[in-house]
Amino acid sequence: MTREVEKTFIGGLHEELVEDKVIDESQLEPDFPDQIRKYGGKDVMTCLQCGNCTGVCPISLKIDYKTRNIIKCCQFGLKKYTLGTRWVCATCYRCYEHCPADLNPAEVMIALRHIAVREGIIPPFIKNTAASLVKYGQSVKPDAEIDKIRQEIGLGKIRAEDPEYASVIREIGVLIHATKYDKLIGIHEEVKQ
Amino acid sequence: MESAPSTAPGSKAGPKIGVFVCHCGSNIAGVVDTGKVREAAAKLDGVVVAKENKYTCSDLGQEEIIKAIKENGVERVIVAACSPRLHEPTFRKCIQQAGLNPYLLHMVNIREQCSWVHSHEKEAATQKAIDLVRMGVSKAARLEPLEAREVPVEPTSLVIGGGVAGIQAALDLAQMGFKVHLVESKPSIGGKMAQLDKTFPTGDCAICILAPKMVELSRNPNITLLSYSEVEEVKGFIGNYDVKVRRKARYVHEDKCVGCGLCSDACPVKVDNEFDLGFGKRKAVYIPFPQAVPLKFTISKEDCLHFKSGKCLLCVKACTNQAIDHSMQDEIINLKVGTIIVATGYEPYVPMKNGVYKYWEYDNVITALELERLLNASGPTGGHLIRPSDGKTPKRIAFIQCVGSRNKKIGKNYCSRVCCMVAIKNSQIIMEHEPDTEIAVYYNDIRAFGKGFEELYHRIREEYAVEFIRGRPAKLTQDPETKNIRIRAEETLLNKITEREFDLVVLSTGLIPSEGSKKIGKILSLSLSSDGFFAEAHPKLRPVDTALDGVFVAGCAQSPKDIPDSVAQAKAAASSAAAPMFAKKVTIEPLTAVVDEKLCIGCGLCTELCPYGSPELVAGTAGGMKAHVIEALCHGCGTCAASCPQKAISPKQFTDDQIYSEIQAALNDQAKRNGRRKEAEGAVS
Repeated sequence: MTREVEKTFIGGLHEELVEDKVIDESQLEPDFPDQIRKYGGKDVMTCLQCGNCTGVCPISLKIDYKTRNIIKCCQFGLKKYTLGTRWVCATCYRCYEHCPADLNPAEVMIALRHIAVREGIIPPFIKNTAASLVKYGQSVKPDAEIDKIRQEIGLGKIRAEDPEYASVIREIGVLIHATKYDKLIGIHEEVKQ
Repeated sequence: MESAPSTAPGSKAGPKIGVFVCHCGSNIAGVVDTGKVREAAAKLDGVVVAKENKYTCSDLGQEEIIKAIKENGVERVIVAACSPRLHEPTFRKCIQQAGLNPYLLHMVNIREQCSWVHSHEKEAATQKAIDLVRMGVSKAARLEPLEAREVPVEPTSLVIGGGVAGIQAALDLAQMGFKVHLVESKPSIGGKMAQLDKTFPTGDCAICILAPKMVELSRNPNITLLSYSEVEEVKGFIGNYDVKVRRKARYVHEDKCVGCGLCSDACPVKVDNEFDLGFGKRKAVYIPFPQAVPLKFTISKEDCLHFKSGKCLLCVKACTNQAIDHSMQDEIINLKVGTIIVATGYEPYVPMKNGVYKYWEYDNVITALELERLLNASGPTGGHLIRPSDGKTPKRIAFIQCVGSRNKKIGKNYCSRVCCMVAIKNSQIIMEHEPDTEIAVYYNDIRAFGKGFEELYHRIREEYAVEFIRGRPAKLTQDPETKNIRIRAEETLLNKITEREFDLVVLSTGLIPSEGSKKIGKILSLSLSSDGFFAEAHPKLRPVDTALDGVFVAGCAQSPKDIPDSVAQAKAAASSAAAPMFAKKVTIEPLTAVVDEKLCIGCGLCTELCPYGSPELVAGTAGGMKAHVIEALCHGCGTCAASCPQKAISPKQFTDDQIYSEIQAALNDQAKRNGRRKEAEGAVS
């Protein structure tokens, strides 16, 4: 889980897009808009490419991330460029608020994550977070540091070994297993333990 | 039901029926198996001829119908093809030629209501077409011959709206020799075109080319100009419309006022001039602009001191002609006209409060129409472009396109068609005035589609180096000190977010239906398109007609359009309106409601519900009050028949008997019933 790997998941469009000189049919998946619709996105074909979404996106000001560009790739069927990059969207829905085509780019991003996960493209930090949830009942691993801060503001220690607490963690594990989320995200080993 | 039709098979006593199934090229035949439909039709009771054609509406197809009537003695004709809205008149004429009463035709719609909507389920579509034809055959046996009525046409026209479209339509009709009443709600005619500076793409001064037409109109003896008036009520039908017009009190006698302006000079009240969109001032007694027609002053009741305090009357003292009369009242006048042209125009979209473009919040954000007034030589600044915050000449100007158009969020999905060229034209004017100005146009797509438009677009890029940025601005911020506006937008062609500062921002606002359109639409019950503008009878073949006979539409009331298109449509509407007036008479559909006096109990429900005021209660021949349908007013809509508790009213060609026979035929498919029984048995065992 080097910084290099993380970078591909929070960066903009895949670098291949810049490297590819010519895009031909072999790179396109014409039914990509349908797949996005299947996972809850609206029809990306309604997008007029006005760029309003990019302009209002709070993330686009920090890193090279162009919402409009990603939607264009979706329209075009350039699936391979788009799958590694969607985890940076905070789903603040500002793009949806401004979109004159009444498309919801944020939900398209969520749909892209669904598709990516099903193709095995999962960022390590998502896996870690999910594993923490199974192990400790919360998405952040509790450690001495956190306990210290909790004590400072007058909160008690997190006692994962408490029988009451352990039953909650067990329940989470059962739920995650029952919904096949563990298999999907590749953490079934953790759940079994 | 006592009048239930006998559906016993083999009863061949009814009229001989001919069925003509149309392929409509591949429109129908591409989905529906027309051969099967024809075969099924041929087996139905009473059908003596069943044929199919590639295009039944073609000469060849019609010839076949005529042949069937003449040689096979066909008495009822069924055409299974498109919607009756398209070709019912065609086929009625066709069977009339063959000597049959034109109302013995029945059209079965297997295109719009079958093949087009079921293009993915061919078998089911074929079955539906067969069902529809069977229903049609059942109804056709019960069709009765009807006689069309002829009514005289009053050779007078009413034009509603005095913009460029209304003016042109009135002038054309007057030139053809018809009397015209032109009703305009504002004190002067001229409409939105009078507010513009120059026109694209030629750069003609708008008022310079419009004012001569306005004067010509006011002097034409065939035209009665009713300015500052509103249509209140329209009753009647083609050729015979009764119109009530409210002449609003101007408090100045039009016949006495000479337009000298002494009253206005004396008036102490100063208010914003609506014509200058709040940039200029006017008095309480005013003409909206110098070229106003009629050149008669008007007192606005809301602003006049006399109406507020009962005093003042300085204008009365100033007027040398005793034209001013504060006791004037609204007047209602009645007109009788044969045709009506609706040219009620548009209004610019008003940007919302607290919206992205901050029109209401920032001084230096203005709309395109406001810019027109600021550029206009007779405008509030005498043609000097200044910015509202400090009156300085702006040196960096941004245009933002598609404000209030092409936006699904606000329900304005349509393109307003003129804003691109307006921005381009205004860029040119600004660059001519102030050559050192920097102009940027934020656009989504540039639509320079008309004659000479593309050339102008190229010219301002090449000669004036106006910058075009493809992207919709995301954020506007104002510098609190300089009041300059910073625009953030993605330049989508560069794939970069840009932030630029401007002195003035012009919003190219879209066109929306005017308030007057909404009012007139309600009065005339005109149908609207999905964009809210008036719907034409057929988008391609009847572009100026409405669903109401004798009512035509012209200009931006129908859809956003530029001046040349408005004028062209006005001329088309004028010639369409003239046609029945030249003919002096029109035929009217005989599909009206009839009352069975024996059943009618005179409750009067129909008189209340009829949208056209057709039924009235009169003394019956056998005593008691009975409903009586005034045929000329009846549109055959069926509201009365549906509401009648006694079933005493029935609309011709849509009688209960006919409709029940269709329903019965729809349910009477033996094959289907057997199939369903098998299905049911299969489910049980």
